[in-house]
Amino acid sequence: MTTRATRAPRVRPERPAPTLRERLFGGGAAGEPSRFERALYHLVLIASCIVLVGPFLMVISASLKESGQLFEYPPRWLPFPPYLGQYEKLLTDSAFPRWMFNTLFVGTIVTVAKVFLDSMAGYAFAKLHFVGRNVFFLLMIAMLLVPYGAIILPLYTVSHALGIHDTYLALILPPLCNPLGVFLMRQVISMLPRDLENAARLDGVSEFGIYRRIVLPLIKPSLVVLAIITFTDMYMSFIWPLVAVRDTDLQVLTVGVASMRNMTSVNFSLWSAAAVLGMVPLALAFFLFQRQFQARSIAGALKQ
Amino acid sequence: MNPTDTSTATHPAAAQADLPYAIELVGVNKRYGALTVLEHVDLEIEPGEFVVLLGPSGCGKSTILKIIAGLEDASGGEVYIQDRLVNYVRPKDRDVSMVFQNYALYPHMTVAANIGFPLKMRKVARDVVAQRVTEVAALLELGQQLTKYPEQLSGGQRQRVALGRAIIRDPVAFLMDEPLSNLDAILRVQMRSELLQLHRRVGKTTIYVTHDQVEAMTMADRIVVLKDGAVQQIGTTREIYSRPANTFVATFVGSPQMNLLPGHIERRDGSVAFVGVVRIGLDAAPPVEDGTQVTLGIRPEDIRLRSAETPGADAVATVRLVEDVGAEDFVTVDIDGTRCVVRVAGHGSVSEGTTVALEIPRDVLHVFGADGTRMDPAP
Repeated sequence: MTTRATRAPRVRPERPAPTLRERLFGGGAAGEPSRFERALYHLVLIASCIVLVGPFLMVISASLKESGQLFEYPPRWLPFPPYLGQYEKLLTDSAFPRWMFNTLFVGTIVTVAKVFLDSMAGYAFAKLHFVGRNVFFLLMIAMLLVPYGAIILPLYTVSHALGIHDTYLALILPPLCNPLGVFLMRQVISMLPRDLENAARLDGVSEFGIYRRIVLPLIKPSLVVLAIITFTDMYMSFIWPLVAVRDTDLQVLTVGVASMRNMTSVNFSLWSAAAVLGMVPLALAFFLFQRQFQARSIAGALKQ
Repeated sequence: MNPTDTSTATHPAAAQADLPYAIELVGVNKRYGALTVLEHVDLEIEPGEFVVLLGPSGCGKSTILKIIAGLEDASGGEVYIQDRLVNYVRPKDRDVSMVFQNYALYPHMTVAANIGFPLKMRKVARDVVAQRVTEVAALLELGQQLTKYPEQLSGGQRQRVALGRAIIRDPVAFLMDEPLSNLDAILRVQMRSELLQLHRRVGKTTIYVTHDQVEAMTMADRIVVLKDGAVQQIGTTREIYSRPANTFVATFVGSPQMNLLPGHIERRDGSVAFVGVVRIGLDAAPPVEDGTQVTLGIRPEDIRLRSAETPGADAVATVRLVEDVGAEDFVTVDIDGTRCVVRVAGHGSVSEGTTVALEIPRDVLHVFGADGTRMDPAP
């Protein structure tokens, strides 16, 4: 072995001169942001937060005021004592509870049915071989390209022809046909190794058993995501529920709240209270399932 | 053939035999459109036999396993399991277990649930399943891991769980699709011997797929060498190594691979010789005419290196490369432009650039025809 003394000397280049960016803002050669840059980032983030959160705070503030306090000057951001009369009126003297029930009822049924149907269809498209599989799948994808507004009128006509107009079925059936969930499920299920199904087949599991015992447990996070997307979508949908039902007992939250405005006047405080109460179930759902949201968003980045 | 009447059909040849073949393939083909994956595969596997399907990637060995398991349909031919035609029998009713390359363990189930799953699906009583799981876990030294999930196990432990799931229902045969290829080199050797010991203890028919010739040679009762969907040779390790059926088998089995020297047969005064870059008299002469183009095969360990001045040597060559692999050297020599590898016990006996003489014993030669098939008569 050659000793250090007999080897050629090491090459030790000089430290390079600082770049213009380093001279102006500081920061290391490895590209970490300087203190100035960090402050700038935070400033932008704070401004964005104010823009995003401000309207929410205004609505909450408005919901805690009497109608007369709404336009007083100077405005009071935090009314004290807060006025809960709008909430009381909403819950006791309006159809709000009915709208909320309708929304949760329709949303839950559609969500459960869609998770079940979409995952089964996704399994079929991903793992089973049948005639016309690719053609059917392409047709479904093509449906995603059709703007919703373009099918409102045909949907209305069909629901009339089926005799389901102005019933819960009119609110439940059309959203089940949205192909996005099938597409998502197909993509997720097709990533599961084929050997898992083959092992299950040899172990004596039926085709439906493979779907139920092997596939469903493995795609649970994706099912939760699909459920959240579907439920949120249903919760916030407005156009179709507006067209599909006229009976006020069947109206959902979005349509009901919109109907609180009469031709001449609007009780903005009452309206704000309805908006705040309407947000509660969705916010709860988000806080309950946010871990699933996060798990799903990082899952793709990790080697399985 | 009518699918409805095949489940009870019995293979005619097996009717006279004392014991039915555990598995038999008769003229099995597999095609995907214009692509032929398997071409007329005939294979008989005795009960308790350990048969290895060996071949390069894409040769169709895994496809054979899947056809036996019922996970793929054969395009033609017949598959028998214990004399029962199973072409139209569902995988779960074929009574075979399979161990997959990536283990295919159910990630959401514990080790105990994974091992007991096949019995649970066959509606075996819960206490019987628990008892069998305990027995199998003890056999595979998994007793401490039963409540863990697959992601908490090492590669070797996962492999054992996969084996446990295969063993628990006491099938006619185990089908193993490169089960050790995901393990590191040390663990692979360890699991190889564990698998063999397990086979000896359980005594089940096993069909094992690998592209690793060492795995094949150390484990198999018989090896089936495949290439491009066709069986090249079936035989014991010794038969495959000592009398390869063609140049593919000759070069695929053995490392370093067999040296192949092109040349022709010369018949003169009653004696027969191979003439190419070397001239060697043949004791066991192939029944071919003078001038026939042939290829001479010589295993690296069958060539002896001598000093350049050795009288009566078969060839003189220049040493181009010496690879020290520890217990021996692989010496690449150049005989008039043709490269040849010689395996030399010990190391340091030759150095690169020197001239050496080669001695080639006559009883170790392999003669292949122009189409690559073996020509020299059986001893």
